[in-house]
Amino acid sequence: MNSRCAACKYLRRRCPSDCIFSPYFPPNDPQRFACIHRIYGASNVARMLQQLPENQRASAVDCLYYEAQCRVQDPVYGCAGIISLLYQQIHNAETEIAKTQAQIALLIDSNTQEQQVYLHQNIEVESDLNILLQEQGDEFSLLGPPNQASSGFI
Amino acid sequence: MSANPSSSGGGSSSGGGGGGPCGACKFLRRKCVPGCIFAPYFDSEQGAAHFAAVHKVFGASNVSKLLLHIPVHKRLDAVVTICYEAQARLRDPVYGCVAHIFALQQQVVNLQTELSYLQAHLATLELPSPPPPPPPPPTLMTPPPLSISDLPSATSVPAAYDLSSLFEPIVQPSWAMQQRQMDPRQFGGSTCSSSTGSGDLQALARELLHRQESPQHGSAPCLDPSSPSISK
Repeated sequence: MNSRCAACKYLRRRCPSDCIFSPYFPPNDPQRFACIHRIYGASNVARMLQQLPENQRASAVDCLYYEAQCRVQDPVYGCAGIISLLYQQIHNAETEIAKTQAQIALLIDSNTQEQQVYLHQNIEVESDLNILLQEQGDEFSLLGPPNQASSGFI
Repeated sequence: MSANPSSSGGGSSSGGGGGGPCGACKFLRRKCVPGCIFAPYFDSEQGAAHFAAVHKVFGASNVSKLLLHIPVHKRLDAVVTICYEAQARLRDPVYGCVAHIFALQQQVVNLQTELSYLQAHLATLELPSPPPPPPPPPTLMTPPPLSISDLPSATSVPAAYDLSSLFEPIVQPSWAMQQRQMDPRQFGGSTCSSSTGSGDLQALARELLHRQESPQHGSAPCLDPSSPSISK
């Protein structure tokens, strides 16, 4: 014996075999229909469901339940409060992204400058070394090959 | 919609202040009594069209009960949001305004992913040792599809609301399409192109707020700057 759906239980009526509510309001979740009924009313929900193809009704009921919950919890703003919150989160995230991108650009720029300074210094040192080696080479050619006696070696 | 005080002056039988029945009573074809709860928010000109949507989705008695439980100074905001939801539901009978919420939530997820990637990249640049190559950018990663249980609840919403966010271009792809295409470029912040007809919702919210004249009405701290008549 089939029990009544949550909607028909709430409405205190017989639940027919072709009840439009029964697929979406199981008897184990009475709060679901109670919330939707409080905001939309049974006849409005039934009419909305009848105007939809069957394969879209479950999604529609889920969305109606969500909106009804928002409205019950926040009678003034309902879902608009959620939308406002999300826009605020988007704004905050975009601000943080911009800040982080600026920090990254700054770090890359300073790292690049440090590398350029380092390379420049290395080039100067190498140039000095080359000059030194060249000078030493000139001295050797003037003095001739090294002499063991004059060098002090045994 | 005009914020007419429900004065009893004038010879007409309207409740809105002598200018005929309010938009709600016009639509309902009933006598607009003094003190009509709808009169301050639905004028006799365009209010009837707005009320038609509200009545179709919520029903007049449900809205009346809702407004009766709201303080008077908050009722304008309530009417604006109720009209917005009703229009959204008529435009999208399956998802209503939840489609908009899904789109925004997806945008938040994408931005937070991008932020995490950038912060990780920044951390590697700040290290003194040679940094490892940064992780691949997240743009190629497809986030999992959202479900209603992933959406924020009204209990997590702070007290300050910005109704001007209803003026933002509305991206309302069908949810089925959204689940197939999780391209983050679809949700490019407030510069998203609006779906056809979303301008009506914006015009509705703008009109309802523009007609507000009393400084007591509306407590939203940030309102549309194009409506100078509204005070905080």
